[in-house]
Amino acid sequence: MTTITATTTAPPRARKLVGAGRRQWIGLIYVAPAVALVMVFFVIPLGMTAWMSLHNWPLMGEHSFIGLDNYVAILRDTRFWNALKFTGYYTVIVTIAIFAIAFPLAIFIEKPRPFTNLYRTFFFMPAVVGFASASLLWSWLLNVDSGLFSPAAYDLGLIDKKFNLLATFQPAFWSIIAMVVWKVAGFTMIILMTGLQSIPQDLQEAAVIDGAGPFARFRAITLPLMRRTLALALILSVAGSILAFDQFYIILRGGPRNQTLTAVYWIFNQSFVSFKLGYGAALSMVLLVILVALSLIQLWLLRKPEGLD
Amino acid sequence: MRNLIAKLALATAVLGSGLGAAAADTANIWVRADGSNFMPRIVDAYNKAHKDQIKLDIIPNAEIIPKYGAAAAGGTAPDALSLDLIYTPSFAAAGQLEDITDWAKSLPYFASLSPAHVKTGTYKDHIYGLPFSADASVLIWNKKLFKQAGLDPEKGPTNWAEIAADAEKVNALGGNIKGFYFSGNCGGCNIFTFTPLIWASGGDILSEDGSKATLDSPQLRGAIDLYRSMVKKDLVPAGAQTDTGANFFAAFAAGNIGISPSGAFAIGALNTQYPNVDYGVTFLPGKDGGWSSFAGGDNFVVTKGTKKLAVVKEFLDFAYSLEGQTILAKYGSLPVRGDIAKDALRELDPRYQIAAEAMAKGKTPYSVVFNDLINSANGPWTQMVNEVFFGDDVDGAIANAQETMQSIIDQAPQK
Repeated sequence: MTTITATTTAPPRARKLVGAGRRQWIGLIYVAPAVALVMVFFVIPLGMTAWMSLHNWPLMGEHSFIGLDNYVAILRDTRFWNALKFTGYYTVIVTIAIFAIAFPLAIFIEKPRPFTNLYRTFFFMPAVVGFASASLLWSWLLNVDSGLFSPAAYDLGLIDKKFNLLATFQPAFWSIIAMVVWKVAGFTMIILMTGLQSIPQDLQEAAVIDGAGPFARFRAITLPLMRRTLALALILSVAGSILAFDQFYIILRGGPRNQTLTAVYWIFNQSFVSFKLGYGAALSMVLLVILVALSLIQLWLLRKPEGLD
Repeated sequence: MRNLIAKLALATAVLGSGLGAAAADTANIWVRADGSNFMPRIVDAYNKAHKDQIKLDIIPNAEIIPKYGAAAAGGTAPDALSLDLIYTPSFAAAGQLEDITDWAKSLPYFASLSPAHVKTGTYKDHIYGLPFSADASVLIWNKKLFKQAGLDPEKGPTNWAEIAADAEKVNALGGNIKGFYFSGNCGGCNIFTFTPLIWASGGDILSEDGSKATLDSPQLRGAIDLYRSMVKKDLVPAGAQTDTGANFFAAFAAGNIGISPSGAFAIGALNTQYPNVDYGVTFLPGKDGGWSSFAGGDNFVVTKGTKKLAVVKEFLDFAYSLEGQTILAKYGSLPVRGDIAKDALRELDPRYQIAAEAMAKGKTPYSVVFNDLINSANGPWTQMVNEVFFGDDVDGAIANAQETMQSIIDQAPQK
């Protein structure tokens, strides 16, 4: 790009137009593959989803246009709103839990010390496991008869009777939180670590000379300078949690007693258990709007304050 | 193998050409993974003996419905599929299936085809599905554990009181041994093995035409009390409460369970994979005797508008022959032709006879919203069985399920 601008800085007026037209043409070619990808894999499916959401569209058989009826039905769909409420609750808890673990880990592995690379690899490892595989692994670990946690505690004499972790809401919910933190904290840790490493060392040293304690330095230097990194990590974590599905589907099947049905789980059920694709599409559109709004709010909250570089 | 088939196909084609027949046709058929044992065998046998060929695709159980829906929308649906019989009404209602009434009625043995299959294969007096494979629910017990517990190893329980008493005696052996097992968080497993207890006692959970949910009955409460009492006495492993069906068969196969409701498929699976487990097969009894069974399996349905109808018919005719029925029986499906069932099973494990009898007199609930009502892991039936077996509020759970099921039935598309 720079070479093109350099060679066309001061041509005669007549040729300038030609050059500008040519430039635009070349530019279009450059972005065409990306545009094509976005069109095929994002814009067209999104348009299709929006179009389907205006239909009574069963998995099999004829579909018919019904306008906004699906959206009206969503307003009355208490189970969807309950699922959304649970998703919100889960998102808040799991995001706090991930940051509470990932931040100390990031600080721990940021400084070079013996075995740093070993620790980094060790903490990051679970992040490369897919969510579905991780869920299958944990669904075995959590199994009361043939798993690890409960039988081990029983054999060690810690409990008198095997305890089924997945049978009631609180232990089941916190088991999922533990699994997600195990799986995701390593990834968040790496993001936070890059943010920590980008803070100039001399700022910290100057603050030390001025007599600032570790807590003051963290609050006045580290946190403000990590604003962008935090925004990235937060948006990734929140978006990922709102779209949570695999772990609840594979480990809990939405149980115990349908108390862990997430929004995406409900969309899946409507589309592929009840075969109502149109309604599922409408629910997806609603979830999309909520997710975009939440991301915008987070970006706004973590925007760069005026006057700060 | 493929070479051989090709040669045979060529040979038959050459023979056939003398009669002026056109080139061989190939029809595509899908089956769910449950049929992955018997289906390839019968397709192989058919392909070897016929000019026209069948191409078989095996699809994971949970994927077959959405995958078929997507394929049908895209115009790439298979010519026919072996479909879980309970889905036949909803597929027919969606206008997806070919009306095969005339063909079905022209079969000389139509009257002796499995009645449960034909009933679910019929929608608004037209036939859209014919029986293909069959599985009936039965009760199985571990003879070795019965013997150890001082029970007669050759005599299975014949009523609810005997189930509870036998389970308790086996459970008393202690250690890893438990008296009874069921998948407590699985709607499909419990419609298959728990409702027969209710049917055998004279109750039902749905009206005959599927238009009314009839959960609140003394028979349902009685059956619930049987399971609850066994859970309370700790005769059931703790994992049963959260088992979504993964352990439905595996728990008993491990050899530490006294009694478990199961299906005819378990006979083939135990014989081939767990030859050391010595087990007996009996009927699922009613409260004071009698018995019932869930007659399940697959219906053979034809995609509307397929051009390969002739091949598909020829294949089904082959499956209905004594040779076809014997192949199916040998590899895990019960025969679906009542008139030759005895012949097809003659050479096989005698325990199949019990299952075949259960199949013949079995019952199948009829509903166009079966998935929503019963099979869905988050549907009212699954939620209710889990709550009534393990929870504290039996009345509330039944009332809630009754209301939810009725509202799902009422909201179903009435086409």
